[in-house]
This record gives sequence, structure tokens and C-alpha cells, in this order.
Amino acid sequence: MSTAAADPIRAYIVSEFLAGEDAEDLTDDFDLIESTVVNSLGLVRLISWISETYRIPVDDIPLEPAAYRTLADIRGFVEKAAPASV
Amino acid sequence: MPSPRLLQAFSRHVREQPGSTALVASGERVTYAELERLTRRAAADLDGAGFGSVRALCVPAHKSPETIALLLAAWRQGINTLVPSPGLGAAALATLTAQAHGPLTATAVPGGGVTLSREETDPSAADGFSIPDPAESLLTLTTSGSTGVPKLVPVRTEAFDRFADWATGKFGLDASTRALSFSPLNFDLALLDVWTVLEAGGTVVLADAGASGDAGYLRELALDNEVTLVQGVPLLHRLLASDGARYPAVRTVVFTGEAVSEQGLRDTFAACPGARFHNVFGCTETNDSFIEDIDPVAYVHPLPIGTPIEGTDAVLLIDGPGGSEVLQGPGTGELLVHTPFQTRGYLEQARNARAFMPDPRGGGAVFYRTGDLVHRDADGRHFLQGRTDFQVKVRGVRTNTLEVETVLGAHPDVVEACVVALPCPEAGNRLHAEVVRRDGASLSSLGLRAYAAKHLPRHAVPSSVGLAGTPLPKTPTGKPDRNSIKNTRLNGETS
Repeated sequence: MSTAAADPIRAYIVSEFLAGEDAEDLTDDFDLIESTVVNSLGLVRLISWISETYRIPVDDIPLEPAAYRTLADIRGFVEKAAPASV
Repeated sequence: MPSPRLLQAFSRHVREQPGSTALVASGERVTYAELERLTRRAAADLDGAGFGSVRALCVPAHKSPETIALLLAAWRQGINTLVPSPGLGAAALATLTAQAHGPLTATAVPGGGVTLSREETDPSAADGFSIPDPAESLLTLTTSGSTGVPKLVPVRTEAFDRFADWATGKFGLDASTRALSFSPLNFDLALLDVWTVLEAGGTVVLADAGASGDAGYLRELALDNEVTLVQGVPLLHRLLASDGARYPAVRTVVFTGEAVSEQGLRDTFAACPGARFHNVFGCTETNDSFIEDIDPVAYVHPLPIGTPIEGTDAVLLIDGPGGSEVLQGPGTGELLVHTPFQTRGYLEQARNARAFMPDPRGGGAVFYRTGDLVHRDADGRHFLQGRTDFQVKVRGVRTNTLEVETVLGAHPDVVEACVVALPCPEAGNRLHAEVVRRDGASLSSLGLRAYAAKHLPRHAVPSSVGLAGTPLPKTPTGKPDRNSIKNTRLNGETS
């Protein structure tokens, strides 16, 4: 599995939404929204974390849940918006 | 609107104040004249669909001016509308539609107009369900059942009119009222913050259903539109009061749905310096039954649910030596209410014998058994203590933890499951599941969440899952020891 340093987005999701749970099968294509691991309140926290961590202005961040469906989606978006950070 | 009187009031507003704003949605203003135009367009689509005379229609509660126009159009044609949550799964929706004897579903199209579809339903699904009578009720609400198919609750037109009269007087509603509508359109709260406000000729500011957790969005919406009436669960008030926001235009604040924290109360007092504050208690079956007018300089906390609303009769039922009896004076018992606003009963006839009963003191009035444990003090003030069953509120939605346990327990890899409610500053309560796996099963907590999300409405999906390797602690009678599991979680001793 990837380490926290190698995959900070995954590490954030695990610590914030899956604390104390076995997250080994949190794959890149696991649906975080459908499974309600990230609910609407969690989404607001996640967006604000991405904005701060990757210095992406909140106005440039999509607000619809579909953009945060999986780890791959989030990573893809961050790479596009802040290519130097990832 | 759910009564002929409301429709007349709406038509009057269209004539007399066509240019005033009826709705604000997605940043757009919809005047009374424009809402009338949308309503006529929906009416034409209903007429032209060729389904003949329609008595009942299912209208998924997408929160939009088009849906409101569609409901108005249907009511004008004397059609009873079943208004379920748009998030309901296809299977549950099909069952509901069949139970309400309505094969037709109408969905509002953005921009105006209606898409109609006829569902192939199993007619036997309606066995034992009353046929909604449009002469008596134009709107059938659904209760937020925590699992499976919600219960169908027709709102009588005359009961709605009595409610609108009470709310209009109590909260001083008129054409200058601007209400923030936070809850979904299918919730009973819409009877006040959408329909009664439209009857009064006011403005309804529709909060986007998808952005309900977004404090910044809600603050801006309330400020930009200078809302005067804010009704909702404590979460809404907390979001609005965040970051020191101030709402000088707000005249009326209504807390409802669950208990408010003292800090939440103070923050809201500060955020709305010109408002009157009320704690309102009720349920879909009876609408509002109790109210407490809160004095910001002399309040008590926990807040009482208050005293019965005018016309409401309330008794507390306790176990006595000879069976159930009515509590006299102070004490704690199950709350039974009779309100001027209540339904005549669920469509499902078999449910009514358990939920409704004649006045236990004798007499003809029908009382609803709320299942709420309520304490009455010597001054006649009532305080909510909890439930007589396994119901908790998660984000304002009544949720039965026992039913969630049953769903988790049905997973083939689960030996036993226990679900407890833990206090949560954001959601009021959050659900935690403690689950024992079958030996050798590979089920993970993520796998269980995904399973739960498939079989439960979102609010009922546990927000955390503990997988235990050993059997759950048991009470002397062999049931899962929920208090022990809860305490372990609360004290941070995760196993």
C-alpha cells in the first residue's frame, strides 16, 4: 500500500473519515460518495482541505459531489489544478 | 397548494401582485406571474398526456419552481399528489406509487413542463391501503421511515387550512415575509416555509438541496435575500450563525426536529438580533403540536418543547397497576396528542390501530401515539426525554437503529450487528455500527458501508463501523448491550 507521504489525499481521507477502521481495501476506484464515507458535510471539509493543502482558490474548485467520487477523481482534479503540488 | 383556499389565495396574488417575487431558486427570481405561467404550462402537459381523468399522481420532490408549479397545476385539477423524496430508490418508489393507487408519475422538467410516465405496478401491493380522496386531501406526505418504504400520510385540506391560519397568526406572515426553505420539499416543514408563505403572498427562498451542508452558501443566500423567517433543524441555525454572521432582517426563528445545544442557541440569538425565537415540536402525522416561545434573556436549557398549541390536546400515558393510564400532574410518560392539523390516518389501514387511539380519558377525539417520552413539570411545561423505542434523529430524520441493525445483520458475512447513536455536533446524532464477522469472512468495514449504502437511505448508513473479532457484549437477557457499546465508543476505548 502507498504510504501517507506518497499519497497525502488517501491519508487524509483515512484519518478524517475512516479513523480506526481497516482501510486496506480503499482502492483508487472505491466510490466515496455512494458509500457515504464522505457525506455532504464531509464534502465541505474535504473541499476546504484540498483548497488549503494545494493552494487552489475555492472558486476554482468544483462543488458537485461527482468530482470527488473516488480517490482517482480527486487526484486527477488536483493534478490539473495544481500540477506542481502532486 | 394543498387546499382549495390556498389555490384561491395564489390566484389572487397573481392578479394583485404579479410582479412580486414568489420564489428564489438557483439565483433566479420567479414572480407570481411567472409561477402562474409555469403552472399553466404544467397543467397543459397534464391535460395533454392522454391519461384521462387522473385522481392521484406521484411527483418526486425535486426542489425547484417547476415542481412547485406542477403541484399547483395538479391541485387545481383536483388531483391528490404523492410527494416522495427524489432520492428514493426505484424499487421503493415503485412500491410507494402502487400503495398510493397512483400508476402515474409526473416529473417537472427544468424550464417548465412535465414528463409523465406510467409505472407497471403490482396491483396487489395496494391491498389494505386506502385510496386517497382528492376531495379530502390533495397532498400525501411520506414519513421519513428509516429503512424500506416510507409510510404514506395524507394531509387533509381542512387540516392544512387550520395550520396555515395558526402559523400565519403566530409568526405574523404576510406579503413581506421572505422564508428560507432549507428542508426538502417532501418534508412536512414545507407546509410552513413553502405553502403557507405562498398563501400569504410572501417569498420562498429555496435552498439548493445539494448544498445543505455548505455554511458559506447558506449565509449568502439568507443575507442576499434578506430572509425574515428561518425554520429548521439546529444544524441549519448553526451553519447560519457560523463565522459571526448577522441577519438584521430575520424576524422569526423556528427551531425544530431535535434538541438545540445551549451554545447553538446563544449563537443564534446573537446572529438574529431582531428576531423572535420559537422551539416547535411535531411530526408528519400531526404536524406541529407544541411550541415554546424562547426569551433570549430568560430561557431555560435544555429547551422545553413547551405547551400544547391552541386546539391541541395532549396526555402522557404511563404504565399503572391495571395497564396504561393517564398521568395526572408532573411526571414522565409517552406523549399522545390530538391536533387540529393531524391526518385521518396512514393509507396503510393496518398501521392505524397501533398508531392512533381514542382519547384514553374517554370521548371521541383520536390521539396519535408519538412514541416520544416526555416529562411534564409542575408548571405544565413539557420536555422531550427520548423515545419509547429505538428511534433517534440523524440530521433531523427519524431513524430506527433496530431496523438498521436488521439490514446489516442480513449481510451473509455478518454474525451479529449492533447500531448505536452517538452525539455529533454536526448531525445531532451519528450512527455507529459494531459488527461481528463470520469466521474466515473477508468483509471489511468499507465493504459493509458500501453494502449499507445500497440497502439504506443515506441518513441511516452508519458513519463509522467497528469490526469486532469477539462476540458483542450482552445484557443478562442476551441482547446486545447497547449501553456498554456506546460507552466504550464515547470514552474512546476502541477495541
